[in-house]
Amino acid sequence: MNKIVVEAKGIEKTYKMSKTNIVKALCGVNIEVREGDFSAIIGPSGCGKSTLMHILGLLDRPDAGTLEIDGIDMTKLPEKKAFRMRAKKIGFIFQGFNLIPTLTALENVVLAGRYGGMKKSVRINQAKELLKMLGLGDRMNHKPSELSGGQQQRVAIARALMNDPAIILADEPTGELDSKTSMEIMDILKKLNRNENKTFLIVTHNMEVAQACKKIIKLRDGKNA
Amino acid sequence: MEILRNMWRRKFRTFLTIFGIVIGIFAFTVMGSMALKLNKMISGGKKYVTGQITVSPKGSSYDSTGGTLPLDTINKIAKVDGVQNVAAMVSLLVTDPDPDNASVSMGQSPTIYGADNSSDFKNRNWETMDMREGKMLDKNSTDDEIVVGINIATDQKLHTGDTYKIRGRDFKVVGVVAKTMTGPDSYVFMNIKPARELLIASNPFMKSLNDSGKLKTEDVNSSVAVAWKDGADSEKVAAAIKDQFGKDVTVMSPVKMGELIDKASATFNAIILGSAMLALIVGLFSIVNTMVMSISERTKEIGIKKAIGASPSSIAWEYTLEAGFIGLVGGAIGMGLGVLAATLVNNKMAAKGAEIFLIQTNFLLGVIIFSFIVGIIAGVIPAIRASRLKVVEAIREL
Repeated sequence: MNKIVVEAKGIEKTYKMSKTNIVKALCGVNIEVREGDFSAIIGPSGCGKSTLMHILGLLDRPDAGTLEIDGIDMTKLPEKKAFRMRAKKIGFIFQGFNLIPTLTALENVVLAGRYGGMKKSVRINQAKELLKMLGLGDRMNHKPSELSGGQQQRVAIARALMNDPAIILADEPTGELDSKTSMEIMDILKKLNRNENKTFLIVTHNMEVAQACKKIIKLRDGKNA
Repeated sequence: MEILRNMWRRKFRTFLTIFGIVIGIFAFTVMGSMALKLNKMISGGKKYVTGQITVSPKGSSYDSTGGTLPLDTINKIAKVDGVQNVAAMVSLLVTDPDPDNASVSMGQSPTIYGADNSSDFKNRNWETMDMREGKMLDKNSTDDEIVVGINIATDQKLHTGDTYKIRGRDFKVVGVVAKTMTGPDSYVFMNIKPARELLIASNPFMKSLNDSGKLKTEDVNSSVAVAWKDGADSEKVAAAIKDQFGKDVTVMSPVKMGELIDKASATFNAIILGSAMLALIVGLFSIVNTMVMSISERTKEIGIKKAIGASPSSIAWEYTLEAGFIGLVGGAIGMGLGVLAATLVNNKMAAKGAEIFLIQTNFLLGVIIFSFIVGIIAGVIPAIRASRLKVVEAIREL
């Protein structure tokens, strides 16, 4: 059995939209991700997928429950230290790529290394290696606006891999791509999982993407289904 | 590099913001250079007046020709306890002001400074003057010899050996004083006798009295410089002169004059720099406004950066530096324009001995650093706001 990378127990999250409108986004969700997993979280719109991803990605805090990433209790982690954990332990791939528009592909990837505390020369070399590995060796100095959607998402993947995180969280990674490019991106993620033993947790409502995953976690109305 | 690209994103807005700082720093450079020049002139004047006790006829102000001090009074002053020696002097403008072309000048107008060179008197703070060429007047100087300040020499293209006509009378230039950045740059030094004669000739009332024998030429003195004996207290000597002659003369003691000058220059500096600061504060708020706008536009980016591990301090630093850079660029341009304007005005005024700006490297360096600091200060609050943005809220804008 591979070691547990993410273990969340009884995660609850409530949003108070107004005095009368209180939304219970998560009601005691349990989740376990092991090293080398390639899992999907699926569920209908509004079931709490994104909220769960924000909590697992240390972007938000649960109201109740416990969360351990790589053996570290994140629920007790002070806010001031969360950013460092985020940089080192978690990689993000977003639906809309979310690259910094003023930076080149290389600079976008290098930025993650900077936040992860890597030395300048090391982070530049590593970012170049990752971009080459993802087939962007000749597009490194292009800005996001000069890249296709698939290329932008590959830059985002390189950025997520930069600090060799314990887990990569992907939120609808193929949501803005055509079906052919979607399959290319999923192939890249699968290869990274298979060859590099990278751990992925993919949030999606696309059944094709979900079926490409080894494990499926279903959510419904903020609970494990 | 990223800072430059971010500034370039909204070119027009960045330009307007920088323009605000340019105006502020321009005002600061120009006003500051003016204050420096005035301070330099004032400190030169202070050095002079605190090195001697100056006695002038009542009703006249320093360096004016409002009255005369009779030789008899001067001789009596020389006998006051503690007085080492005295030297009479006469001052008047090189040319009479043209009432049809009145102008306000901040510099010293070209002035004749006629001194009693036969006296052993020496100003304690200003014993000798550095010469650019030739020599200073001394006991052996004749009445047709003059020494000119650098502004007069430049304006009239005078060198040692040249002849300079003043109020219809020819004088031979025997020396040019090196630049002092203060009063003497616009002086024509001569013996007291020809200065007295020129003063009398310039004043029809004095001339008629002189012609009728009621006013002796040697009684025409604008003021007298008094040196005190070594070990004597200048203030006590000044008080003693005042006690005896206070009815007829005004006595300017070194300490009191120094204090008066300091007070006047402090007030003046406060007015000049205060107005420049006002312009700068307006510029500062334009940076604050730009940064707040820029941050609200870049909420998404801040969210991304935080999601991939940016610390709040690195976000704050990034935006603070951007504001600092806007300040720096605006400061450099504003300072450049300020120096250009000051130099152009100085060049135009130099001929009249009325340079009104003093451009100092240290001050300019200070202006640049200051403009960067202004930018940093303007950027701090927006930057802190950016660093405190909730990642999830920023992410929701994705």
